[in-house]
Amino acid sequence: MELLTLFFIVLIAAGLGLLIQWLPMRHQPMPTYPQRAPFLGGGLPETHAWNRYHTRYYPMTILLIAFEMEMMFMYPWAVVFVEQGMKAVMEMGMFLAILSVGIVYGWREGVFKWQ
Amino acid sequence: MAVSWLQRLAARASVPVFPVRGMHGEEVLYRLALTPGVELVDSPRHASILLVAGGVPPDQYGALRRVHDQLPAPFATLWYRSQPLDELASATRIDDPDVLSGALKAMHHELMCGKRGSSPRLLPDEPPNPWEGLGDDGHGGEGMMGGVPYGRPMAMNMHDDIRDGLTLDSLTVTLGPFLPMLPPGLSVEVTLQGDLIQTWTTRDPPYPIALESVFFQALQGPVPIAELERAMARYHLKHLYFALRLAGLEALALTALRLAFESHSNPKRVATLRRRLVRSGFFGLTTTGQGRLDEETARRVGGVAARAAGLEEDWRSEDEGYRQLGFRPLTQRQGDTGARWRQTLAEVEQSLQLAAQAEQDATHTRHSDGVETPRGTWHRQWPEDQSTLLDDLLPGLEWDEALSTLASLDLVPLSPWSLEEASGAPVAQAIAEERRA
Repeated sequence: MELLTLFFIVLIAAGLGLLIQWLPMRHQPMPTYPQRAPFLGGGLPETHAWNRYHTRYYPMTILLIAFEMEMMFMYPWAVVFVEQGMKAVMEMGMFLAILSVGIVYGWREGVFKWQ
Repeated sequence: MAVSWLQRLAARASVPVFPVRGMHGEEVLYRLALTPGVELVDSPRHASILLVAGGVPPDQYGALRRVHDQLPAPFATLWYRSQPLDELASATRIDDPDVLSGALKAMHHELMCGKRGSSPRLLPDEPPNPWEGLGDDGHGGEGMMGGVPYGRPMAMNMHDDIRDGLTLDSLTVTLGPFLPMLPPGLSVEVTLQGDLIQTWTTRDPPYPIALESVFFQALQGPVPIAELERAMARYHLKHLYFALRLAGLEALALTALRLAFESHSNPKRVATLRRRLVRSGFFGLTTTGQGRLDEETARRVGGVAARAAGLEEDWRSEDEGYRQLGFRPLTQRQGDTGARWRQTLAEVEQSLQLAAQAEQDATHTRHSDGVETPRGTWHRQWPEDQSTLLDDLLPGLEWDEALSTLASLDLVPLSPWSLEEASGAPVAQAIAEERRA
């Protein structure tokens, strides 16, 4: 019964959403092809706009993840460190070694350089 | 047809006008920018009226048709001192600047209330490059990137990056001649890698700009220095208006424009404008040293650009009348975008001070074999188009840096007609025809 009620709520919500979008559009013809072209002040694009765009904050994101993941793992590690002893130190060493590869990569990409 | 309350509301709103800046159409647009109830928008998609201000050369009719068809229906066109396209022969043409804003408002009201039909579409409603439908994914070719979807090649990694070695796909577009962020008439082919300008090739030079008649009179005989200097300040303030609008500082842009149109601006108000510009961060946009001109290039460009690069090149130093007023050319050292704006503001202040001083003593120019125009020295020949230097100056800059550099440089050629002569419709059309020839 609850599932049926939920189904009807979803149906009504989706129907209303579509109706609200359809109502103002019902007398509007599709814009023409020239109108849909990118506005370049009368100029034309020579290549397609489907191009790959580099997110330049990407190396900075790597650095943030590297340091954040380190701390996320270190808190629970600190709790079990006394119990586990040397084994925990080894595990943390391996983890930090892997993380440091990311940090070294970020260093090479110039993330520590203030621009 | 019943007029809905939404249509009535839309009819009462300010008129969104997209201006196509033709030859010598700038002056009327300055007036419209200060007219309440008219809004000059930067994209045809936000406009309900296309205003073609000034003559358009016939070889740019294709571009004009493309811009025309980008306005959403219903829309109308108005031709100010310009010959409508053959397909729009019945479109409204106005030659009197005093009735223009009223005509725009009436036209907008009629459009919104359904009393006027939309302007017809000029281009066929067909995809400019049809879908090829070839290849595994319908991308028009073999391999992941080998196709030409919609007949246009994919942006490919064809150029080595010139900034930091991070190579991106290059996107080549033709911009202009009616792009509001470029000088009127300038058409360029730009290759971008992300936001970095890889290549910049000038296709069509900007339209010549007309100076006030006092500069022409100065070449024929003595003229009052006050008049000459006020015309100089007006020109620079209008140029500043364009740059401030580009930077998104609309209120400051209008302040600069109001100052330009005041008959007797006080230099103190320019100082206030400068302080407001500093607070708004306008100079912060230009402090990275971009757009620096070397000595030879700065000399070639002349005017503000030359003096901002430290060259004391100013014809006014040669004139006895100016010497009598204690004139000395102001200069900057850096020669970059920021220096050019500091120089522009300093020269506006200097011009207004000189004008006030010259008015008291009724000082006139003495030499008539040359004149210092806002674009540089006019001696034997007038300053010519220098837009091709952008081809070397702008590659390597990011898009925003390139546009602020471009706005700070005044590279347009001077028109052989004065502003008063060129505003006449027959002359504007004649210039367009001459350009075509």
